Amino acid sequence: MLESIFNLVAAYHWIILAFVFHLVVLGTCAYLILLERKTASWVQDRLGPNRVGLDFGLPFLPKFHFWGLGQPLADGIKFLVKEDYGRKGVDKLLFSLAPAAMIIVVIISIAVIPWGGVRQVTKTIEVSGSQLTGPVFVQTDEGPRLGTSAGEALRRYLPYDAAFVKPVTPEDVNLAQAISPATGQLTGPVQFTVTYRYHFQIAHLNIGVLFVLAALSLAVYGVVIGGWASNNKYSFLGGLRATANMISYEIPLGMSVLVMIIMFSSLDLAVIVDRQATYWGPTIGGTHLALIPAWNMFAQPLPFLLFLICIHAEANRAPFDMAEAEQELVGGYHTEYSSMRFALFFLAEYAGMITTSCVLVALFWGGWHMPWIEWLFSAWTVPASEAGSNSVTTSLLVCIVRSAALFGKAIIVLFIFMWVRWSLPRFRFDQLMQIAWKGLIPIMLLLIVTTTLLVYWFDGATYDGLSGWQALGFLVMNLAALAMIVAGSYVVPAGQNQNLRVAVHDSRYRATALPAGVRSSFMASEQVVAVRGPAH
Amino acid sequence: MPPKNRSKARDYVTITEPKLTLSDQFYLPQVFAGLGTTMRHMFNVLVKDEHRVIQYPEERREDLDVEKGGMKLDIYRGVHRLNKDEEGRVKCVACFMCSTACPANCIHIEAGESPWPDREKYPIKFDIDELRCIYCGMCEEACPVDAIELTSIYDIVGLTRQEMIFDKAKLLEIYDRTVDQEPM
Repeated sequence: MLESIFNLVAAYHWIILAFVFHLVVLGTCAYLILLERKTASWVQDRLGPNRVGLDFGLPFLPKFHFWGLGQPLADGIKFLVKEDYGRKGVDKLLFSLAPAAMIIVVIISIAVIPWGGVRQVTKTIEVSGSQLTGPVFVQTDEGPRLGTSAGEALRRYLPYDAAFVKPVTPEDVNLAQAISPATGQLTGPVQFTVTYRYHFQIAHLNIGVLFVLAALSLAVYGVVIGGWASNNKYSFLGGLRATANMISYEIPLGMSVLVMIIMFSSLDLAVIVDRQATYWGPTIGGTHLALIPAWNMFAQPLPFLLFLICIHAEANRAPFDMAEAEQELVGGYHTEYSSMRFALFFLAEYAGMITTSCVLVALFWGGWHMPWIEWLFSAWTVPASEAGSNSVTTSLLVCIVRSAALFGKAIIVLFIFMWVRWSLPRFRFDQLMQIAWKGLIPIMLLLIVTTTLLVYWFDGATYDGLSGWQALGFLVMNLAALAMIVAGSYVVPAGQNQNLRVAVHDSRYRATALPAGVRSSFMASEQVVAVRGPAH
Repeated sequence: MPPKNRSKARDYVTITEPKLTLSDQFYLPQVFAGLGTTMRHMFNVLVKDEHRVIQYPEERREDLDVEKGGMKLDIYRGVHRLNKDEEGRVKCVACFMCSTACPANCIHIEAGESPWPDREKYPIKFDIDELRCIYCGMCEEACPVDAIELTSIYDIVGLTRQEMIFDKAKLLEIYDRTVDQEPM
């Protein structure tokens, strides 16, 4: 009885994973806000919030501040008890729908992150006789095969994406207590001993990358709807800017993912991670030296860099945070939001950052791969020569450690997000568009073409993972592409100077009353004229 | 290239925009330079502990050196006090110079005939609204007998507005409390 419950739990492990990972992600969101404020402080020679400890002001606890770790809890309580203010004139339905839409799409996109590789389990599953309506085995040309009803009954106790390592044969079945000796009929429970593998992730989709891109690009609807429903011109402008931003930066983002897809011929994030979970290095005297982990970042640095830039834009973060520019738009699309609705926008922004960071780690940083310390887990790892993949393990604990490794790498990416935010000023709107359409997209097109040619030249040998020489080839290709881009910047005409000074009323830069021979600031000249004198 | 700022006699200046170098055009080298700057600051705060924060309730500015952001007690403009003379009488002669000079109109004096032979008037009431006061120190400058002075106390609190109107007794009490640290 107890065992069948455990089997059912194993069958529905994705529910538990979904629950745990979403709690982890949302909890991390709260602490990311603290990390954000701390990073801002460190950059500005401050210390950051360090007063709200975990003592909750209780008198019997020592006055110890715990580095401000209680701050997110205090923030959460504050958001919950604040007045949910709805301004006159807002579209009430859309106003409530916008933050919900945003957090939903962000949360479902976490489902396809390949947290812990593949787990292989060998166990005995008891199927009651009543579930077996047909014969347990049917005779085929290649030997006995599992019958339809037996297969279905067995599947009920297995994870949805479980794959048998070898077909179930009569040797794996214990019919001893199943057949009553008197009648020869199948009455009791049948015990199957099966070995199967399943992916340690919430939903194992073979189009995982596409799913993340599709789900995250829907997040902009939350921004646009929120901006529209607020009945506020600043919010509306924020929503519009977010749309243009998203449309522009989705393209190079998708393209840099496309480079990975071309290399590995798979849309499955788990497969892409699996191909990276090995090493490049010379083979000396028959031993393969583990010199460099076979992460795509080292073979394809330019797509990695461009992906990193694009996920900043995707998350609406500085320097691409036109949609919520505090200085111009008073907060942009969430100007009119307060209390928990505002907090949902905030959570969605940070959860989106976590998802995109995890995708970056999976695509370019080897996912859960822990370089040079893998021998620690060799007792629980099925060797690649036997399993046909680098990611098969027999232990649940190894899966959890791998999840922690992936998450730790994602935290590094998240720190880069914050580091960049507090270092760089915001782009102007035309600069934003210029970078995407005149910079990133042509570069990515070049890289896609060269990667395709190289994969064609290797005759598709990269599909099962790059060898060291192939990786070197891709690296040289990247450097050649970089040289082409630099050379191109000399060849391609510079175009008009975008930094126009427009003369407005009371401006120091004036087009009127200039002396003869002085070129006006309206002209895209190298010389800009500033007029001295009284300011009106 | 620094912008050229040629003639100051003319009513316009010609600024030549600096020409972008290759690394400026590609922007990313500049980004990495900026990230290096911020990382240096983070390193200074986290590793070398070189921050610019005074942890207020535990560390106070009056305990620090002036060079390290501390305050100079003798010139700090905090809460007022009414000075006393050698015989313990209030020094004020109720001349109204301070309340006239006060730009915030927060000093209210009621003068009476002095019981002492060395002066004509003395304040019966002397109220300062510490919430209206802007702590400019004009009263201190205006006083002909150095009776009113600003002390270095800055952390005054009260539950009501009425509480924050300091009367003569309170101002004299502040003198007693601060005279050792800040003699007249």
